[in-house]
Amino acid sequence: MKTRYYIGGFIIVVFLGLLFYNFTRTNIEYESDFTQVMAKGKTCKATGVWVKEKSFQEDVQNRTFIFYLRDAKNNEMKVIYRGIKPNNFEIASNVVVTGKYENGVFHATDVLTKCPSKYEGQNINTSGS
Amino acid sequence: MIGNILNSIAFIAAITSAIMYFLNFRGFQNTLNFARIAFHTMATSTILASVFLLYLILTHQFQYKYVYSYSDTSLPLGLLISTFYAGQEGSFLLWALWMAIIGVILQQYSAARGDLEPRVMSVYSLVLSFLLLMITPLVKNPFALIYSEPFMASANTINPQFFNLPFLSNYLFTDNSTGMNYVKIDQSLVDALNSAGIGLNEFIINGKGLNPLLQNFWMQIHPPILFVGFAAMSVPFAFAFSALMKNDYKKWIGQALPWTLFAAMVLGLGIMLGGYWAYGVLGWGGYWAWDPVENSSLIPWIVSVAALHTMLVQKKTASENSIGAFAKTNLVLVILAFVLVLYSTFLTRSGVLGDASVHSFVDPGYFAYLLLLIFMGTFIVLGGGLLIYRWNYLKQITPPQNNLLSREFALFTGSVVLGASALVTFLGTSAPIFGKSIQIEFYNEMNLPLGILIGLINGLSLLVKWKSSDGKELLKKSVFSLSASIVATIIMVFAGVRDFKMILFAFASSFAFFVNAEIAFKILRRNLEKAGAYVAHMGLALLFIGVIASSKYDKSIDVNLVKGEPADVFGYKLIFTGYSPTQDGKYLFNILIEKDGKKYKASPVMYYSEYNQGIMRNPDIVPFITKDIYISPISYDDGSSTHSDGQTFQLKKGETIKYGESEIEFVAFDLPADAMQKMMSGGDFEIGAKLVVKNYGSRYEVEPKYGIRNGEKLNDPVEIKEANLVINLVSISANDKMVTLQIEPFKVERQQQEIKREILAVTASIKPFVGLVWLGTVIIVAGFFISMLRRLKESRN
Repeated sequence: MKTRYYIGGFIIVVFLGLLFYNFTRTNIEYESDFTQVMAKGKTCKATGVWVKEKSFQEDVQNRTFIFYLRDAKNNEMKVIYRGIKPNNFEIASNVVVTGKYENGVFHATDVLTKCPSKYEGQNINTSGS
Repeated sequence: MIGNILNSIAFIAAITSAIMYFLNFRGFQNTLNFARIAFHTMATSTILASVFLLYLILTHQFQYKYVYSYSDTSLPLGLLISTFYAGQEGSFLLWALWMAIIGVILQQYSAARGDLEPRVMSVYSLVLSFLLLMITPLVKNPFALIYSEPFMASANTINPQFFNLPFLSNYLFTDNSTGMNYVKIDQSLVDALNSAGIGLNEFIINGKGLNPLLQNFWMQIHPPILFVGFAAMSVPFAFAFSALMKNDYKKWIGQALPWTLFAAMVLGLGIMLGGYWAYGVLGWGGYWAWDPVENSSLIPWIVSVAALHTMLVQKKTASENSIGAFAKTNLVLVILAFVLVLYSTFLTRSGVLGDASVHSFVDPGYFAYLLLLIFMGTFIVLGGGLLIYRWNYLKQITPPQNNLLSREFALFTGSVVLGASALVTFLGTSAPIFGKSIQIEFYNEMNLPLGILIGLINGLSLLVKWKSSDGKELLKKSVFSLSASIVATIIMVFAGVRDFKMILFAFASSFAFFVNAEIAFKILRRNLEKAGAYVAHMGLALLFIGVIASSKYDKSIDVNLVKGEPADVFGYKLIFTGYSPTQDGKYLFNILIEKDGKKYKASPVMYYSEYNQGIMRNPDIVPFITKDIYISPISYDDGSSTHSDGQTFQLKKGETIKYGESEIEFVAFDLPADAMQKMMSGGDFEIGAKLVVKNYGSRYEVEPKYGIRNGEKLNDPVEIKEANLVINLVSISANDKMVTLQIEPFKVERQQQEIKREILAVTASIKPFVGLVWLGTVIIVAGFFISMLRRLKESRN
């Protein structure tokens, strides 16, 4: 009877160990401060808003999309995404890019756009006319 | 008003029903009838409220905020109906509606089974009370009028004939960043309109419409089915809780089994329909992306399936003087499955997933957030608390564990593995709450070994006998299935499965398949009724094999298809034959696919969506038995402009960009004094952008032009042969002092070639055996259904 519990306990320990190992290994932090993104230089999910005033480049043939993001503290960062401009990019209130900052550019493997108007009332800045 | 009254009545009646049923359980005989009346009042009001909301949607009553926010006059009937649950308010109402309907059946079911009704129905009514509270006028009210809070309605949804009303100018606004006009609708405007004799639904004549991403066939099916699954999950919970209330743990298993099977069947189907939607229409490229919203409904499903297996053991091992094995486990799992449904709701509705998911809802407001937490917390505390309270007694009456080599133990181990898989998925999905995020790799890496175990245990559990088996007999019984699965695995290895873990997974899945197939074959001839489990297991095994093939061994390539010119892709000849517009303003891009003289057609879709202000893309699939050809559109170039190979740049005055070896600086506009005025009035004009181009020490000053001449758009690109450049001015934004340039390399042959080259860029993939995933799903559902009928019959005894 005892051995059964030892074996069971052993399996649980192995499983939890694997779980912990894989969790830490594949864990990516969210980072809303671009100075941190640049300083750390490791894979993360950077969140910011698209800088519409700055230039962007879209090269459909070579599947490259280059744009600028800005964080809450007005730090700007150039992003190169190997892919095409995602749906909803123009109206996104927030952009989440997954990737790594290297040699002055953020290389994104994934671009996620968040659209507040998708499910809820639109918030707009208004001025009288 | 009507809607608010109905919802309020439903809420009050649900609470009353819960209390009256509870009092009846505590011994007050005369409250039973009252409880039943209250419950049916609740059900009637909820159904009427739903009918009323549907009526408002179908008759375009845009003075209701919900109707305005999700529908418009252009939607076809099916999609118009589906706007019922396009937002949070409506989807809570739908959930409550299903619960009300299921509740009416449950009431009859429980009334016919001893003293079950007061307990089960009091718990069930309590769950409903919380749901209905969510949609009362104070929280997420689907019947709120648009002016209950000042609301900015887009000017193009307003009847234009009223724009000349003198007082309207006070309510007109313009969003400077987009140039869109809005009308602010509040109480004072409604009063002013009323005194002018204008009704609000004459004034607002259209709604914001449904997000085009949701405008397709599956929107009409996937959410309602998923919500039936959610609603049904509260039934087994009510049974488990009832057992704890009465401190009697034998009967509830048999009574809850058909309901648990039903809930798991419908929820599972709903989840996979969502997967098909993502694969076939949204163009995610696969059926499962481990998106938090997908995961959050998968977790309760896995737990409920685990519960089913141990419930079966308890039912089988129960006897005159024993409640059966795993009584504690079953209570824990069933309660957990329901709590996880609530957790799923919390994750997807509270906004906590914010950045992590493609389709999570935004922040519903602090009050609703808090209420969702209380909803979940209440049932964790109630379920967990009562369980702890009864724990010692449960421990005494649960019989000790049995033989290791028994079906009981094998099923238990299976449930533990399922639990582990649920835990893995739970951890990964919950990570964003703590500001972390998990790569998809985590789920795959962790769930793959668990999947292997599930396949093996599944097969093994059916070969061993109840109570105890001996090893020799086991080996004898497994000869066929073992040899068949070894052969199948070898075939798969030859077909290309080389990864070691994948080979193991292939073997485990085949093993599960053949064991079940053998038994099902023997049983099916005599007794179809009992084949449910084996059918479901075969479905799962097929689904697993589909997963192995399609996830690891798909091939994908980006190609540019020139119209009329065949391109070779994975042995298929792809010819882009041109596009054709559809009735609803989309474009089909027709591709002819040829192999060995056989012809197929794929028509992926692209269109510009006003709602999303961007290009929307839908893939198209050519399904074969052994594979899917999956074509995702990327872009289309009609060849008329010069930007076919070019890049687009947007740059500000004074800014410099690099293109190849050249540096291009935008110096200034060449803006004739009257150009702006003419541009506004629609007359002819010409605007230039002064650029300085530097290339290997040479400096060029050029000025591409853009404008209107004789009513036609004019583009006057500049060519710099020496720098190998053609620069075209596409558009300008004088306010922001920005220009958009298209730059491409200069090609001599470009001028000679007058023929338009239409180019469609696509991603073409071959996805082997995806069909098995869907076939497996259908078979699983069929298996669940057969089992459900059998257990329903048994529950009458």
